[in-house]
Amino acid sequence: MARQGLGSVSQAFEAEALASLDSLYRTALRLTGVPADAEDLVQETYLKAFRAADTFKPGTNLRAWLFTILHNTARNRARDRARDTVAVDSEVVDRAAEAPGPRGRAETPETLLLNDVLAPELQAAIDTLPEAFRQAVWLRDVEEFSYAEIAEMLSIPAGTVMSRISRGRHMLFERLNHLRTVNA
Amino acid sequence: MPDCKIIDPLVTPYVDGHIGDADRRAVDEHLRVCPPCDSRVHAERTVRDLIHTRKSALASPCAPDALHARCAAFARRAPDARLHSDDRLKPRPWTTARDVSRPITWRSRLAPLALAASLVLIVGAAFLYQLTASSSRVLAAELAADHVKCFALNGVLRTHDEPAAVESSMLSGFGWQMRLPLAANELELVGARPCLYGEGKIAHIMYRHRGEPMSLFMLPKAIRRQELVQVLGHKAAIWCVGDRTFVLVTREPRSEVDRLTSTLQAQLR
Repeated sequence: MARQGLGSVSQAFEAEALASLDSLYRTALRLTGVPADAEDLVQETYLKAFRAADTFKPGTNLRAWLFTILHNTARNRARDRARDTVAVDSEVVDRAAEAPGPRGRAETPETLLLNDVLAPELQAAIDTLPEAFRQAVWLRDVEEFSYAEIAEMLSIPAGTVMSRISRGRHMLFERLNHLRTVNA
Repeated sequence: MPDCKIIDPLVTPYVDGHIGDADRRAVDEHLRVCPPCDSRVHAERTVRDLIHTRKSALASPCAPDALHARCAAFARRAPDARLHSDDRLKPRPWTTARDVSRPITWRSRLAPLALAASLVLIVGAAFLYQLTASSSRVLAAELAADHVKCFALNGVLRTHDEPAAVESSMLSGFGWQMRLPLAANELELVGARPCLYGEGKIAHIMYRHRGEPMSLFMLPKAIRRQELVQVLGHKAAIWCVGDRTFVLVTREPRSEVDRLTSTLQAQLR
């Protein structure tokens, strides 16, 4: 339905797009670490999305489309600031992702101990993950996107998405266990 | 029994429940006889379940109301109405359907190109100064070019930061604990950006003073003596405090630049 009297974006499209703003902002915060930069990133995402609204295919996942724009924008910004940032070496990341996970038996008491982990501790542990693993775990376990959608957002193969999720979850397991052990 | 290498790529879809029956049976069979892989699955599932149970708490904070309002305003704008010189976002209830459906004219198509060409000329001019002028003049020219470029970009992005957010980004980006100078409320904060100068990153805080764009740059080295430079139609007041160099860039008259510089120096001391 065309918006009456205002922009070229339909009301339904606008409402559905803006419903994802909070989750886009949280993801932008995970990407930038700075609230002002996260706001800037989300604004640019919506600016691009509304400009390109006519290229969105109705019936596909609008939320995933917005997240793809967000990640592409973040990547472009990182590229522009390449002098200031430590670039993620995708080969190194993928090699790390291929490394074996914990081989020792996960003790049941450890697993039970993790049940006591509070959200702020979990958030802090997620934030300390290397960016590539943090993105993959966050998009899968918090935002609940499919492997294919995450692959599209991050411009990596679906197999790499799965290995990054796997490695990221194992890193979190080790960090949280360490934290619990130290606290205990 | 399939070996660990074959099972490896199936572990995450197995934990997430996105795996076919045949593959699931193969993983089940392997896990029964392979304690290390069983541990992997156990650990991965524990973390996944933990995140899922804490998801509602992780799904905070919400975006600020002002950001919601700004993004909603983007949807209500005609695509060619976003390069206005006013860089603050305001809903435009007076925009009509006729405005929105108006075809893009050659003027609106050329405007961004003209802006880009102007910026190239300005930046080029700034580099030319490097050959002919003193180092303070080069600094002033490059920062004046950056001032023009960032305000032009802000005209598109329409960012509008709160002082607390800028102070937080100064601390996280530069390690500077500071109170943002607002010169007795006569300066309206537009936002802050990290910009590049020489071999490093500098802080660029954008204001409006009586509606006119004004920039305060902060460089992490005390490298200049105090002086006022006129360059590229702008005035750049340069001074140092401690181990930082400050540069105020504006088109306002000399008397106003001197007054603002004194006020800012007092606040930043």
